[in-house]
Amino acid sequence: MAGIGFEIRKILERDNYWSVLRAYGYAGLVSGGPWVLSILSIMMIGVLAVMLGVEQREVNAFQICVTYMMASSLIWTGGMQLMFTRFVADRTYAGDKAEVLPNLFGVLMLTMAGGFAWAAPFIFSLFTGPFFQQLLLLCNFVVLSGMWIVLIFLSGMKAYGRIIWTLAKGYSLGIAVGLLASPWELNGLLLGVLTGHGYLLFSFLHHIVREYPGNSLLKFDFLDRSRSFYSLFAVGTLYYLAVWIDKFIFWFVPYTSEVVIGPLRASIIYDLPIFLAYLFILPGMAVFLVSIEADFAEQHERFYRAVREGDTLMHIEYRRDRMVYAARQGIYEIFKVQGLTVVLCLLWGRGLLQTIGISPLYIHLFYIDVVAVSVQVLLMAILNILFYLDARREVLIVTACFFITNLLFTVATLQLGAESFGYGFAVSVTLSAFLGLFILSHKFNRLEYETFMLQG
Amino acid sequence: MSVIQAGAEKPWTVRAAGSVLEPVADIALLLEGTYPYVRGGVSSWVHQIINGLPEFTFAVIFIGGNKEMYGPAQYQFPPNVTHVETHYLLHRSHGKPHARKGSRQPFQEMEELHAIMRQSGKLADRKMIDAFARLGSKGGISQEDFLYSEASWDYITRQYKERCTEPSFVDYFWSIRAMHAPLFVLADIATGLPPVRAVHAISTGYAGLLGAMIRLRRNIPFVLTEHGIYTKERKIDLAQATWIHDHNDDVCNTLHEEMGYIRGLWIRFYEQLGRMAYAQASPIISLYEGNRLRQIADGAVPEKTRIITNGLNVERYRDALEKRPEKIPPVLGLVGRVVPIKDIKTFIRTLRMLVKERPDAQGWVVGPEDEDPLYVNECKELAESLGLGNHLRFMGFQNMLEILPQLGLMVLTSISEALPLVILEAFASGVPCLATDVGSCRELIEGAAEQDRALGAAGSVVHIADPEGTAKAALELLNNPEKWSAAQQAGLARVKRYYNDQLMFSSYREVYSEALSVPRHPAVAN
Repeated sequence: MAGIGFEIRKILERDNYWSVLRAYGYAGLVSGGPWVLSILSIMMIGVLAVMLGVEQREVNAFQICVTYMMASSLIWTGGMQLMFTRFVADRTYAGDKAEVLPNLFGVLMLTMAGGFAWAAPFIFSLFTGPFFQQLLLLCNFVVLSGMWIVLIFLSGMKAYGRIIWTLAKGYSLGIAVGLLASPWELNGLLLGVLTGHGYLLFSFLHHIVREYPGNSLLKFDFLDRSRSFYSLFAVGTLYYLAVWIDKFIFWFVPYTSEVVIGPLRASIIYDLPIFLAYLFILPGMAVFLVSIEADFAEQHERFYRAVREGDTLMHIEYRRDRMVYAARQGIYEIFKVQGLTVVLCLLWGRGLLQTIGISPLYIHLFYIDVVAVSVQVLLMAILNILFYLDARREVLIVTACFFITNLLFTVATLQLGAESFGYGFAVSVTLSAFLGLFILSHKFNRLEYETFMLQG
Repeated sequence: MSVIQAGAEKPWTVRAAGSVLEPVADIALLLEGTYPYVRGGVSSWVHQIINGLPEFTFAVIFIGGNKEMYGPAQYQFPPNVTHVETHYLLHRSHGKPHARKGSRQPFQEMEELHAIMRQSGKLADRKMIDAFARLGSKGGISQEDFLYSEASWDYITRQYKERCTEPSFVDYFWSIRAMHAPLFVLADIATGLPPVRAVHAISTGYAGLLGAMIRLRRNIPFVLTEHGIYTKERKIDLAQATWIHDHNDDVCNTLHEEMGYIRGLWIRFYEQLGRMAYAQASPIISLYEGNRLRQIADGAVPEKTRIITNGLNVERYRDALEKRPEKIPPVLGLVGRVVPIKDIKTFIRTLRMLVKERPDAQGWVVGPEDEDPLYVNECKELAESLGLGNHLRFMGFQNMLEILPQLGLMVLTSISEALPLVILEAFASGVPCLATDVGSCRELIEGAAEQDRALGAAGSVVHIADPEGTAKAALELLNNPEKWSAAQQAGLARVKRYYNDQLMFSSYREVYSEALSVPRHPAVAN
């Protein structure tokens, strides 16, 4: 299967504006697609449901439930996503591809059954709704957990085209079922997303099973310390905790939030701007994919090939310089494109909020959130480059910094008052990006030394 | 004193306890890759010396490459071996290496040292002492610093950019590491060795360097005996080494003759090791005149060189001599390891030629086949393609006393030899020899000095890689009983008069006595 870089380059080779636009559009869909598609479809279900006469209160409850399930399932599986992707890459590299499928089933078993085991008592004891509703919540959580795993697995296979197409089908199905079942209100809408995510889980899985041979059904080798990196587990978990911690704080501090359903609380003031802001990362994600996954990845491969195949030191250094240039260029491009997006949001943000009927009171929070999520794209690019260099310890330091500062700064903004809301997250992600850049620069400067001298 | 059982899993080590500085042995034998773990000419010689000089006590210091390369000990130590140490130069580091800065100062000093070595090749004692003192010490270069530090990296890359003419940095980098990492182990061995009264290295190379280190550190005599010439043998190895990639440009064929930079680097490295050993050793002993001249060419001071030939216990072979059949058996025997340096293939081709004239002729290859299985296979395939069938036998390791009476001729087709013991064994049991003109083979067969030559030829000297000539020479002896008997008598007389082990023992007795009686004097000459 051709890598995404290859496909994009093919489009770019036609060399006209339309093809450039198409290439970046494709890259944007591929990279930001899952995230943006899911936000958009949840929003769309909400809007359409209201039009079909479902009460706004029910729709709000639905959106909060889905948000919580997404957050908790991402945090629950984030560590395993990273650790397992690396496990698969290593096994494939070592040539025992047959190990992959049984271990995928092992991971799914662990995350889904494990998730069920801890979420079931939690949901059944804290939610007061009917049994059917509790069951729907639980199923949604378990299915989502499984879906993240197979989704990241497919991304590892670089099956981007298929991912987007399947996602589009899955969410369309989800919307359709949700709307058909809307007479049952919250339960109907929940059934809709469950159907959509269930469809995604099984069609992704179907694709994987067809691609990968397997000689047994179930294995748990990925838990073996000698074959896996538990530091990656920590990184994945910390990253999602860092991304969500400020939201959780706003949800559970009484004066910024209110009860929506069962134990679930929402922060009207905080939630809407940030979820809107996330829709504006698409340009940066597109550039990220093209410049890092295509350009940088190629230079990275050439550098290590020069090392492995016995090039001169001068050429190895030249390759290092090219790789650093590609990385710098990628980061710079993301900076430019996201910078432009921020500027446009500052210019038209007020009008935009008005058009979709959101109070202009949110505008300052929206501005700062657009800045913050733009920097988050940069941070992701930096972390990704560090992953390429196998700098696991360094990535752990940066994600830990992200988590801790987001926690501390968000709590601090609560003390400082409403004008500073959102700044906690923004300052935290900026600080982490700077730390990442600093570490990356240091790493690049010592790259040949570390590559040669520090082999175990 | 106690007997150390050969084949014991761990050779035990006696280290001097606390302040007791009683020497553990008179002579520490520094043995690189031979006794007691590997059978062969040098090992049996070492065993012979220890047995033949019971009035001295010996410490056996074995230095190997990888632990996995060696099996159990092959010899049972005589009672005068009072101390044994086994060391391996290429041990893998444990755990993940950690980044470290390293101190730049000692690397700068090392650079100066390298510059001196490149220019003149001669190092003053003071410089050598300083250089050894820096190895693995505080304020010097620790092994970790050398392997993992930024200072070391800067030094290696600078040297590469200034000197290496070859494209592959990876090869250069690993060569430099592989070359120098053992030096730190040697420094540790030199530090940890309990007191002895003198050291005796049986080669230059790493063992010789260790001898020089100990000599400089402890100010005790250092005797050096070379059987082959280490540097020359390394050159042969290196010329054939496939682990070094030559980056010769295919377009430019003139370059093809030249040796690659990394090969050259290794050779210069071993030459330098040799020079350091020669500078500190006295006497520098070789087995025959050719090698003595080589040592001088390689940097040994002529006054310190001397020749002590190998010898053997002629009496031991009396039985073999008496068991000989009346008729000359048409059997050519090649006794040696099946490795390229012995050029077994020429022996096989010789046999092919011979069989044409003497259909009853046989060739026996007597020696271990485990060292180079690829070559063994090639040889067997060659024999098969030549249709030798039952004419050629690979017999593996055999009892020489039983094999020798069955041979008509001893044949050595080697491309390199020193003083092959098997020729002496053949002489003592009444077998004439054919040998290539390498090492001391000509001296052994035709005689060295005038009186020696007067004894007559004990066989024939042939060219290297010349099956036709070798077959012709063999035929001449096998088909001509008078000539054969004359050769037999010449061999018997020569081995009795010049290569008797009593001569060798008394020479070494003298060398050791002299070394042990040397009053201590300041180590630094200049």
